[in-house]
Amino acid sequence: MTRRNVLLIFLREVRDQLRDRRTLFMVAILPMLLYPALGIGIAQMTTTFSEQQRTVAIIGFDELPPPPLLDPTNRHRFVDSLFDTPADASKLFVITEADLAVDVSVITDETPSADENADSTTAGATAKSESPEPSKAEPAVSETLTRFLISARARRANIEELGRLTLQLDLVAPQTSAKESDAEPTVTSEASDVSDKQALSTLKARHKELQDEIQRWFRDAPVQVLIVVPQGYHAHLDQVNKLLKQRRPLDDFLSTGPRPIILQNSANDKSMVAYGRVRSAVRNWSQQALRNQLVAAELPASLPSAVDTTMLDMAVADEISASLWSKLFPTLLMMMAVTGAFYPAVDLGAGEKERGTMETLLISPATRTEIVIGKFLTVLLFSLSTAFLNIASMGLTAKYMLNSATAGRLANLGDVASFPPVSSLVWVAMIGIPLAAMFSALSLAFAMFARSTKEGQYYLTPLLMVTMGLTMFTLSPTVELNAYYSVLPIVGPGLLLKTLLLSQTMPNMAAYIVAVLGSSIVYSALALWWAIEQFAREDILFREAERFDLKLWVKHLFRDKEPTPTFSEAGLCLVTILMLVFVFMGVGAGQTFSANAMQDALIKQGIFLMVAVGVPPLLMAILLTRNPLETLKLRWPEWRYLVVAVGLAFVLQPISLELAYRLSDFFPPVPEVVTKFMSALKEVDVPWWMTIAALALAPALFEELAFRGFILSGLQRARNPWVAIVLSSLAFGAIHMIPSQAFNAMLMGIAIGLLAVTSRSLIPGILLHFLYNASQILVGRFSTELETTAASTDDFLFSVVVDPEGKVVGYDPHFPLLFPCVLAGAILLAFLVRRLRRQEEERLRLQYGDPTPPMTPVS
Amino acid sequence: MIEVDRLTKEFSDLRRGSVAALEAVSFNVQAGEIFGLLGPNGAGKTTCLRLLSTVLQPTSGRAHVAGYDVVRQPEQVRAHIGFMSNNTGIYDRMTAWELVEYYGRLYGMSEDLLQARLNEIFETLQMNEIRDVLGSKMSTGMKQKVSIARTIIHDPPVLIFDEPTSGLDVLVARAVLKAVEQLREQGKCIIFSTHIMREVEKLCDRVAIIHRGRILAIGTLAELASEYNQPDVEELFFDLIRLNDEPQETTRA
Repeated sequence: MTRRNVLLIFLREVRDQLRDRRTLFMVAILPMLLYPALGIGIAQMTTTFSEQQRTVAIIGFDELPPPPLLDPTNRHRFVDSLFDTPADASKLFVITEADLAVDVSVITDETPSADENADSTTAGATAKSESPEPSKAEPAVSETLTRFLISARARRANIEELGRLTLQLDLVAPQTSAKESDAEPTVTSEASDVSDKQALSTLKARHKELQDEIQRWFRDAPVQVLIVVPQGYHAHLDQVNKLLKQRRPLDDFLSTGPRPIILQNSANDKSMVAYGRVRSAVRNWSQQALRNQLVAAELPASLPSAVDTTMLDMAVADEISASLWSKLFPTLLMMMAVTGAFYPAVDLGAGEKERGTMETLLISPATRTEIVIGKFLTVLLFSLSTAFLNIASMGLTAKYMLNSATAGRLANLGDVASFPPVSSLVWVAMIGIPLAAMFSALSLAFAMFARSTKEGQYYLTPLLMVTMGLTMFTLSPTVELNAYYSVLPIVGPGLLLKTLLLSQTMPNMAAYIVAVLGSSIVYSALALWWAIEQFAREDILFREAERFDLKLWVKHLFRDKEPTPTFSEAGLCLVTILMLVFVFMGVGAGQTFSANAMQDALIKQGIFLMVAVGVPPLLMAILLTRNPLETLKLRWPEWRYLVVAVGLAFVLQPISLELAYRLSDFFPPVPEVVTKFMSALKEVDVPWWMTIAALALAPALFEELAFRGFILSGLQRARNPWVAIVLSSLAFGAIHMIPSQAFNAMLMGIAIGLLAVTSRSLIPGILLHFLYNASQILVGRFSTELETTAASTDDFLFSVVVDPEGKVVGYDPHFPLLFPCVLAGAILLAFLVRRLRRQEEERLRLQYGDPTPPMTPVS
Repeated sequence: MIEVDRLTKEFSDLRRGSVAALEAVSFNVQAGEIFGLLGPNGAGKTTCLRLLSTVLQPTSGRAHVAGYDVVRQPEQVRAHIGFMSNNTGIYDRMTAWELVEYYGRLYGMSEDLLQARLNEIFETLQMNEIRDVLGSKMSTGMKQKVSIARTIIHDPPVLIFDEPTSGLDVLVARAVLKAVEQLREQGKCIIFSTHIMREVEKLCDRVAIIHRGRILAIGTLAELASEYNQPDVEELFFDLIRLNDEPQETTRA
């Protein structure tokens, strides 16, 4: 691969894309115009948009004690200062019975007759109309509202009764149940009149009847909230004040006394919003009223605040804006990196195939890798510029808009406009690059796979959906960066970006940054490799549109079985295993660590491994391949590979242990359940063979069948055996879940994979795997022997590792032990690598003959 | 210059399973010679030429082009061939000059040599008036000229033409054939696939008749005429195909 060719292709593709008006529009013009346009639109909306007024009716207004609830200058409006946001007062239109008094003469004939409350309310209304002088300029209340007021007044008694009943039944319910359970009936105070069930059921029936009636009536009401102040409320309050002044107990009196009722309909948005406002106004008002009461009773007005807490918002303006940016930036970065990558990728991949220029490029000396990398860099450039231009444009628009909004609802957001610090922007760029690289490579692989640009476009939706889902997940405030999330694609970068933009500091922040960046780079490399693979495949490069027929395909799958699985069948096997592992995740170690529970857990572990890991490759090998024995590498190896396997098992043990100690700070701690399980294993009396079978033999058998058997055989279709070995070991690591174990498994996977490929047999791998796991278990079993050896050799070879309780849990290899191990390991692995290289040459020779000079020499 | 030894290519097909598009094909082409590959559509001509240009990998067999192995040294092979077919596209958003220049650079030509070569080729192919025309604005004839310029920009010793005249009008087709002839005079090793008898008669020194992935006959036209006792190329062609198909049909029935 030469840089020159990559650069040439890159420059050509960039120029080509820049000459394409559509791409330019998508990448540059759209973001630069979109956000300002959106901003102007929103500004327009906020100036022209005003929330519609909602109507609140108050029946029995004059029963309310001071302070005034309604504006003395405009009795259709609450007092501004009662609201948390004073402007809210203008969003509620209040009608009271006073509105009836104005033109009551006009509508009196429509008043329902035979109203027992009519006399008293009219009296109240007339009284009310005297205090605030109703001027002629005031808006007249519409006829509908007037009619509603009249009907509400007529139902006042019913509503009051409903309120009382609801209160009573709520109080009664727990008491009756208490009576039923307890033999001794408790003495009831306020609900003594409903002591027997019959009375209760009649009450309930009455409650239901009232509720149904009022529900039906209120559903069609022209007001959103109705406040009913019961009759005699004022007198009741006076009584309360008197009792209070005399310092007489008034609890019973208060709980049985009348109280105002607020009707709202929570299924109706308008009513909900209006109720929210009314509630806050009434709450503030009642607090003031309470203070007045206290003053009247010669008590300190601050009494209700005695145990009041004061909430001080410690968020600095910068942080408020940071929390805004921490949501906007990651979302925008992901979405725009995907879309910015996808359209150029489709044009560069499927588009070029469609226009027939791909073949021309393929016959140039540029290699396929160079071509793909050149194209990939182009896509990456456009992905990044789209993402950054969008972020910049949106950020600037938001800042400008919020700063210029001096009035209106945006005014109190003015502080938010502080732009994120430069360091945050650097982080966005830092994380944006590997992220965009992954999206670019993925898009390119999809685009290469597609036959036409049209087909290419179809692949955008699933990609976008997955990205969006994962991005939404990271935005959830409860989701925080942890070790597992940090290595997930999209989730890791998203969470890291969120954390960094919030300037939160976490322990191990540096480790997380390394993990996220590292895994992102690995993912991009994998995606890029996949794209190159796609590009190198003849059947994809010269794919012709063919009718897809499931029956034909299944037939093809079973008829044209190949001796070993294909690449995609290997992938299918891995996905199946991962899904089964996911399903069985709950099975395994429980929370109790008794001997029986441990035995159970071990048996379950063994069965789980067999079902989830062992069965899929076996079945797939039998069903999908012509030669299951070859696929699963079930053949006796040359004896020297067995020797190598035994050697590697014992030599790699201390090395991986040392690595684990060295990296223990990097990886998050192993979940407590696992450590508890492992230490319990050493204490609880579980038959040793059971432990060995479940934790050494079962993994060795089933995991080898899957990862070095079926999956590796499929992956070996890749032209480079190293690619197959590394990929299979990555898959092997993936099912180990716990990061530190996954890492260890991955390294082991490379060694075992090398062994399996060179020996063409699964047996050395099984042997290595078994011995490695078993020796790890035995280390725990022979702790006393370890201790004496360590003591007698003065910790020369190793020292023992002791847990906080003083028990020996393992050993820490020292240099004199490690050095020969590393040396021996290197020699054994070098032997395998050399074998691999020879075998590759052999394979090429068998397929294409000797690399002899051409039959006639060329001048 | 081109040596093909039992070259075989199999494709897997959903309907038919594994299908041999090319079966143990062998032939040689010398410098200064135009070798014709004559066969009906779907005979395996394009597959054969794609194998030679390393775009496809053979299932088995060997081929050397300009002394390089197509499997082991694909980059060298590609650097020493010029490949042109009627579906090797021209970039829409690139001018004629830019396109030819781009490929010259991909072939690793030095900038001085490239510019000299560009001027020379644009002169001889009379392309100076379309120098700055974008690909999307070109007529088919112009595009074909640009394709020829692209094919020969690096002065390759081996040239592969895959039905270069199909779909062209007579005037353009004639110009293309003229260009191929001139290249032979320069001593190039040329392989030329077509299904048009006239072109073979006019152009080719030797010819291989290919059908269903196999070479049925190979030699100069005179040799073939005497061997099969049929002076007319067209008749010879049909005879051969009929002869080849008949036994298959009887075995199938």
